[in-house]
Amino acid sequence: MFGKKRKLQGLDAITRKLMAIVGENEVLYKKEDLISYECDGYTMYKGMPRAVVFVKDTQQVSQVVQCLNKEEIPYIARGAGTGLSGGATPLGGEVLISLVKMKRMLHLDLENRKAVVEPGYINLKLTQSISDKGYYYAPDPSSQYACTIGGNVAENSGGAHCLKYGVTTNHILGLEIVLPSGEIVEIGEEGVPDQPGYDLLGLLTGSEGTLGIVTKVTVKVLKNPEAKKTALAYFDDIDDASQAVSDIIAAGIIPAALEMMDEIAIEGVESAAYPVGHPRDIASFLLIEVDGIAVGIDDQIEEILTVCKQNNVREVKVAKDEAERSLWWANRKMGFGAMGAISPDYLVQDGVIPRTRLPEVLAKITQISRKYDLRIANIFHAGDGNLHPLILFDASVPGESERASRAGSECLKEKRGRD
Amino acid sequence: MIYSDTESILPEEQVKVNNEREHLLGNSGVQIMEAYSEADISKVLTFAYEHEKTVNVISGGTKRGFGGESESADILLSLANYKGIVEHSVGDLTMTVRPGTTLKEITDELAKKGQFVALDTAWPEMATIGGIISANDSGPKRLLYGSARDLVIGLRVVYADGRVIRTGGKVVKNVAGYDMNKLFIGAMGTLGVISEITIKLRPLPKYEGLSLIHFPKGSEKKIHDFSVSLLDSVMEPVTLELLTPTLAEKLTGKNSYILGIAFEDREKAVLEQVKWISENLPESVGHTVMYQEEAKKWWEDFWQIGPNGYNDEVDEDNTWAALKIGSNNMDVLDNLEAAEKLAETHHLTLQGHGGLGHGISRIYIKGRPDDIVSFIKKLRAKTEEKNGFVVCTHLPFKLRETVNVWGVKPAHFALLEGVKLANDSKRILNRKRFVGGI
Repeated sequence: MFGKKRKLQGLDAITRKLMAIVGENEVLYKKEDLISYECDGYTMYKGMPRAVVFVKDTQQVSQVVQCLNKEEIPYIARGAGTGLSGGATPLGGEVLISLVKMKRMLHLDLENRKAVVEPGYINLKLTQSISDKGYYYAPDPSSQYACTIGGNVAENSGGAHCLKYGVTTNHILGLEIVLPSGEIVEIGEEGVPDQPGYDLLGLLTGSEGTLGIVTKVTVKVLKNPEAKKTALAYFDDIDDASQAVSDIIAAGIIPAALEMMDEIAIEGVESAAYPVGHPRDIASFLLIEVDGIAVGIDDQIEEILTVCKQNNVREVKVAKDEAERSLWWANRKMGFGAMGAISPDYLVQDGVIPRTRLPEVLAKITQISRKYDLRIANIFHAGDGNLHPLILFDASVPGESERASRAGSECLKEKRGRD
Repeated sequence: MIYSDTESILPEEQVKVNNEREHLLGNSGVQIMEAYSEADISKVLTFAYEHEKTVNVISGGTKRGFGGESESADILLSLANYKGIVEHSVGDLTMTVRPGTTLKEITDELAKKGQFVALDTAWPEMATIGGIISANDSGPKRLLYGSARDLVIGLRVVYADGRVIRTGGKVVKNVAGYDMNKLFIGAMGTLGVISEITIKLRPLPKYEGLSLIHFPKGSEKKIHDFSVSLLDSVMEPVTLELLTPTLAEKLTGKNSYILGIAFEDREKAVLEQVKWISENLPESVGHTVMYQEEAKKWWEDFWQIGPNGYNDEVDEDNTWAALKIGSNNMDVLDNLEAAEKLAETHHLTLQGHGGLGHGISRIYIKGRPDDIVSFIKKLRAKTEEKNGFVVCTHLPFKLRETVNVWGVKPAHFALLEGVKLANDSKRILNRKRFVGGI
């Protein structure tokens, strides 16, 4: 007892105040404990947090926020830390408020197609917990096995299937948030749509926690489609693949997913944990999934194959079973991480262009790659025109990080000119 | 009175004295200013802001009876002549359009390229896209296609002080910054005047079908159970809209509750789903099926119900009101039933419909003003028991003062007011048109 008191006496006043709210074991303050919180999935920039506080309920979030607000100490909310845009990186000595312990599902109402979860609830777990009844949660970012719904709200996360089903903002019915004042506000109570007032749900979703900390989320859940078909189309020319993307949409088909990878990306995924056996000499492939009423699915996939053939596809394969389909998706979803197999470091960018401009923007990215002498892999949601150029570099080579950063900025600038 | 300094704002032919200032529906203006361009909108607002003149905004006028506690503003800014599609990018499934374009004009133009905008709101030949977005109007098909907030990807907006901003973009996903588009959708023009809209499109369905299921009196449980089983199936209905017997009678000649279930897909898939309906029908119900042109025609008739800003009767005893109810999906049935009972005790005629898969219902009532006021209060109390709400989307101006159009202020009202003041600190735009007198 005496020893413990002495230990706490060495701590600064803020840490002690935070401990008083959440408990001594729920605050990290030692340097060795803080190191793993110096960045999230975006590793280019790092900073040491002042402390990490693990909260267990909304009241604690409110109290912690009030305490920090009073002391004028900045804070950042953090979920699983899988974000790729640095949203949870403490560059200014912030206190991190970790929401991973608020991870319960509070309510499930399938008749009204909604679920209420705490922010630390893991994305994939939601689908897993309702799949036996034939339901799922649509937004499926590649990190869905680990990322939290609260983090998804903060980042307005998308995923491979948002082409047909929309991004997080299209699936949020209600939020409980803690404002910087500590006030607890409920918006979209009970998940009833169109409630009178400005659409604060829409404003908050994607605001990276800068307007408040989400402590409860009401989401829509959807019924699984009756049937799904997944195809892989291999192209010798990346322009042909890009054209096929536009032509599929123009043919009046909205696939559930329409993903693309280029040669360097394929080299990466084939060297990583889930190789599919993609031919190594192709320029790119499209991963196409359609879903819906079973009797209409074969016609849809036929039409897509026709479009691919018109665009000089080398080979098309349709997944023969769920196991093959899952492998293809694992290969795609682990795509970013797979870059680790062919490069010590990578920087990922996220930008959206009109999908009809894919060929010209991809050509420009190739030029940027040459200009900075860095390999750039492209893995992206082609159907949405949502590009993810991955700039491969080696941080241990002097100057290469800076070059990667400049190349990344130039890629984004190129995109901004197009939207 | 014409402000002497207005000539410098817009050309003479675009400025008129309003001879209809005491409009039954209010939301009028002393002086009508017609904008032909975004620059015109900006000029009018710059002038108004500088001189602290209030501005009401109008296009098609179908929502004139929706909100607004002051009868007339200094200026009635009309966007009816600021119309046309600016860009239709077929391969991107996006369109950029001016606010005064009617939904019908958009539909006709896009159909030439096999696409459509998935908003199925009433009076499409009169209602403009700017008004539909500003009022966040929607129809039964939002069940599958979503509402304005799911479709709008970019806006140009003229702020109260005349500054023009751009939110979102022409790409189908927005990945940077606050999603400002959402704020202007359903804001009733209180945060800015929308001067351009970029919206996601869909390919026209290859085939469409409509199942109408007629339920005899006392079938509430059947309606509920059937709807639940359909929603729990793998079918993909575009609508699951319940029509009150009076509305059903108007549209089909049969006085009974009707479930209108639409399917839009490939022909095979539509037929398969209609087959599912036939095979899963509850006992002793009627089932009518329509396809293609016949189904389209039925929906066209459906969109011609309720008040449209021009079809009110002069006779006060035939006052017309329209209500939007939001609730949990499955409470729609209870709400429609409650409304029917209340209409009977209040001597009102009522037509109504609501989506069992999306939770939005629409009620149209006609009768004496005091009965209407009492009806709204009672229905509101009833829906609020289950966290629902009632908003009056059409009501004569005089009644809007006695009935709170938007219901009680939400607990987070201060946040809403903060947003308003950040955008329009002098409160010149559509003053008192929105929640809590914003």
